Amino acid sequence: MAKLTIDGKELEFPDGTSLFDACREARGEALPHFCYHPDLSIAGVCRLCQVEVEGMPKLTIACNTTVRDGMVVHTRSEKVEKAGRQILEMHLINHPVDCPICDQAGECGLQDQYMEFGLYDAKVEMTDKCHKAKAEVIGPQVILDKERCVLCSRCVRFCNEITGTGELGIFNRGDRAEIGTPPGVELDNAYSMNTIDICPVGALTSRDFRFQKRVWMLKMTHAVCPGCATGCNVRVDHEAGRIYRLKPRYNPDVNGRWMCDRGRMTYKAVHDERRLIQPQSKGDGDVPWSEVTAELGTLMGKVGLIVGSPHQTLEEMFLLKKLAAKLGCTSVYGGLAGADTREGDDLLLDADRTPNRRGLALTGLNEIDAAALAAAIAGTEGTILVHGGNPAADSAVSEALAAHGQVVYLGQVANETAAVAEVLLPVATWAEKAGIFVNRQGRLQGFAQAIGRAGAVREDWRVLSELLAGAGDEAAPGSLKAVRELMGSELSPGIDLNKLPARGFVPGGEN
Amino acid sequence: MNRPVENQAAFALSPETTARIDRIVERYPTKASALMPCIWAITDELNHVPPGGVDFLVAKLEVTKARVYEVLSFYTMYRTEPQAEHVLQVCHNISCHIMGARNVIAQMEKRLGIRMGETTPDGKFGLEGAECLGACGHGPVVQLGKHLYEYLDTAKVDDLLENLRKGTVPRADTDRELEA
Amino acid sequence: MSGKDLRILSERFGRNDGHKLAVYEQEGGYKALRMVLGGMKPAEVREVVKDSGLRGRGGAGFPTGVKWGFVPADADDVYFMVNADESEPGTFKDRYLLDYDPHQTIEGTIISCFAVNAKLAFIYIRGEFGWLIDRVEKAVEEAYAAGFLGKNILGSGYDLDMIVHKGAGAYICGEETGLINSVEGLKGQPRIKPPFPAVSGFLDKPTIVNNVESVAAVPWIMNNGSAAYAAIGTEKSCGTKLWSVSGPVKKPGVFEVPLGIPFREFFNDYLGGMVDGEELKAVIVGGSSVPVLPAAEIMNCNLDYESLASAGTMLGSGGMILISDRSDMVELIQVLMHFYFDESCGQCTPCREGTGWLHKIVKRLRSGAGTPDDLELLEHVCNGMAGLTICPLADAAVMPMMSFLEKFRPEFEALIQETAPAAPTARWPRGEQE
Repeated sequence: MAKLTIDGKELEFPDGTSLFDACREARGEALPHFCYHPDLSIAGVCRLCQVEVEGMPKLTIACNTTVRDGMVVHTRSEKVEKAGRQILEMHLINHPVDCPICDQAGECGLQDQYMEFGLYDAKVEMTDKCHKAKAEVIGPQVILDKERCVLCSRCVRFCNEITGTGELGIFNRGDRAEIGTPPGVELDNAYSMNTIDICPVGALTSRDFRFQKRVWMLKMTHAVCPGCATGCNVRVDHEAGRIYRLKPRYNPDVNGRWMCDRGRMTYKAVHDERRLIQPQSKGDGDVPWSEVTAELGTLMGKVGLIVGSPHQTLEEMFLLKKLAAKLGCTSVYGGLAGADTREGDDLLLDADRTPNRRGLALTGLNEIDAAALAAAIAGTEGTILVHGGNPAADSAVSEALAAHGQVVYLGQVANETAAVAEVLLPVATWAEKAGIFVNRQGRLQGFAQAIGRAGAVREDWRVLSELLAGAGDEAAPGSLKAVRELMGSELSPGIDLNKLPARGFVPGGEN
Repeated sequence: MNRPVENQAAFALSPETTARIDRIVERYPTKASALMPCIWAITDELNHVPPGGVDFLVAKLEVTKARVYEVLSFYTMYRTEPQAEHVLQVCHNISCHIMGARNVIAQMEKRLGIRMGETTPDGKFGLEGAECLGACGHGPVVQLGKHLYEYLDTAKVDDLLENLRKGTVPRADTDRELEA
Repeated sequence: MSGKDLRILSERFGRNDGHKLAVYEQEGGYKALRMVLGGMKPAEVREVVKDSGLRGRGGAGFPTGVKWGFVPADADDVYFMVNADESEPGTFKDRYLLDYDPHQTIEGTIISCFAVNAKLAFIYIRGEFGWLIDRVEKAVEEAYAAGFLGKNILGSGYDLDMIVHKGAGAYICGEETGLINSVEGLKGQPRIKPPFPAVSGFLDKPTIVNNVESVAAVPWIMNNGSAAYAAIGTEKSCGTKLWSVSGPVKKPGVFEVPLGIPFREFFNDYLGGMVDGEELKAVIVGGSSVPVLPAAEIMNCNLDYESLASAGTMLGSGGMILISDRSDMVELIQVLMHFYFDESCGQCTPCREGTGWLHKIVKRLRSGAGTPDDLELLEHVCNGMAGLTICPLADAAVMPMMSFLEKFRPEFEALIQETAPAAPTARWPRGEQE
């Protein structure tokens, strides 16, 4: 252990601790910095995190210094603050004043540092600044402004060290140096958009988000990516019922600080123009809930087959199983076996492109393969209830359903299954409801509702619970909280499901 | 990722250069560390490294394209475009400046009809500035190919350019008469 | 030995046969190597060089034997690099050493490698010395053929390989970690320290980087003993130095003199003073990256590390540039600022941006658009660079800039008064600033 004094405070740290981390703990906030990143190698090029260490002739960068017993460190001395201002000024000396048109405004490292300790008047003429290429598309998702770049090299290190794809380099030298891809190379790896997150300024920005919304207008909700079984923790940035982007949320046990590009784009499905907004009854078109309830009552009188989906939440799977039991329906399945399976990679993307297949196991639901399902449909007497997924994407299943008729579908979009349904009940996407997903680690992760539901879209759990009540269950839960309490008492996960910790919970595992 | 650029002329090296590169790769401790001498081998034959040469290096040394272009763009002696037949690099650093480099440059510009940084339309002469060439007490100097022409004045410039125009390369000051 | 007879390094300068192995051996070459490999231990060699007081001749002046001692005792994969990247403006002594006497450097390198248990040595020669690289490579081949390189050298059991590595035009490769990165096939950008090269350098292994002039002195030191070397020069500046002299003096060139001789004596007796019609105005004594001294100040100095340091400059590489009264100091500083702008590797912000701005401001001053603020602006930019960067290139730009401003300010001011524009410039209002 090393005992050191930082800004007059005596603290102890394990040997080998970076002085940068030690200072963060002592100060309650990180030292000014651009190039340092906890998941990347040390570059030491921005020079902002310089501190005064007694006994050393010059200021030293904290990121490349290890704590030593007896060190006396000053992070806010006059010498350090003066150097900080000077170095910040060096960063800004060629930086274009693009703030009015730059997407990074409001979450920009230069703006933040300047407001924190800069606040000086520029001494240099605008006309003399270095000019470099602006708005250069360097990949399917990323656009580069070379003038704004402060050459912190985070993006280059990310592509070398995290994805191992090495698309980016820093070319030329001196103030002609610029980040970019070499001729014939695109920044197109599956994690390219993480470079946008780590770029402290508006040099690397998202093509998808470009000019869409000022960041200070966005509200932020914590959720879990629905794209695959990894369950990266995300932050949903939205305003007035519209999602503008997803960002990864730090979870050292699941995704670290990253997520894949594909996952970031899952928000688009929420605003798919084919979304089901009103209940629909074949023959009658759109009908209000009050009218469809009657027809539903008849159909739900005899239910012969129930199919769920691994895209649904744990609460919904639990209620579906309960409903099946109450209806006396023994042919109940969690979904189509092997559906939505592609290739995974070594980083985060899982081959299982559903967020909650493990939830099926937890709630005791089995999957069925398409051929067997088609046969089962043919032999079913009574209504077929489909919750989520899109089993009719398989042609055999689609034919069987069409031939059978009497299909009630709780769905989100006008897809193949919706096309063969008798009654369509519009339900929420992951962003419009709260719930729990179980990821590939068996980790229960809760997510909050980000945006409101359009039209007559309802939460799935509520629809299922009402169906449950309609089937005669007097204890059908009346709130999501109650669903979780009931689920907790029946599944015994070892934790209060209404109080899941932010990092998630693995029943029976190390938490 | 590291895809070759489409539609480029086929890249080929002479057997001598290929053999030289193989020897380099064998001697250097790692493949990546052989990058600079390999670039020199290609440059010695072709006077620059074309896109095909970059792809060759990527494959041979198992480095990324970004790395190769970083190195090519960082060092002033590496070129990615074909060069003029005679590239005259005149030192414009302090000692040569004091000893009259400006006049030497002006004379070259006058005689060649181009400014510093340009190439003659017939592709025969390129005129460039260079930082200190390690001949400060012998200045002003110009580098042509491997050698230096030193102690320049306007008369010597005229002499050099006339010779080059005729197709003869006068003996350089650094090309000393040595005992075998 | 008197000053003029001392030829530790320059014995074969000016000759056209000194590069030949046979000639070198005939004149005592490789005798030191035979002695060292004939029973000495690496630690003993390190002691001799340490006691000799030899200091790094590239510019930093760090004691060579001490540097060798930083290699961990148990290190088995050690590399050695000879820094022949000589690009410091005003310096051309390593060129002479390699041009006239490559075997001296080779022998010195082999002995130095033995002293630190190195297995592979690179001689990093700047690309612009292409005209002598072939000859050095031939000399290395001669050394291999003679059994001075390769496996089991002279039957001692010591193995050493040597590769001549050609640079490609980057002054920053003269910085030792920039050089190491360059040999690794990367851009020649300096590394952050720690780790230090002696512990983790080339391929993360212990690496020693020494200047050509430093290793070239080693054979003489081994042959004549540390005391003999230490007896030359002064107490803290031992041995001889190769001074590269340029500018309008009667006799420019490379001179070997014992450290400590008075500048006055060197200037008059060795250089013959300025050419007729020109007076000495200023001297940049150690390569362009050291502070300039007006003539009056340097006349009182001795040419050693300590005397020059106390006069406010540095011995540096010994690249002595003599400036006469016909030179415009602002014009010269523009030339120098262009150099650092050209050569900054671009890695760290203060140097990358600052070198560009210093050049822009000086250029503007000379073009007639300068304002009185510009002189303070130059100082302000310098303060944002010095001591704040990964390597000393920023300081190397700042030292000439600040010293030219300090010692020759009237020349800068005259430029402003002559050319100040009539209308006020469009500038933002100034706040409280340093």
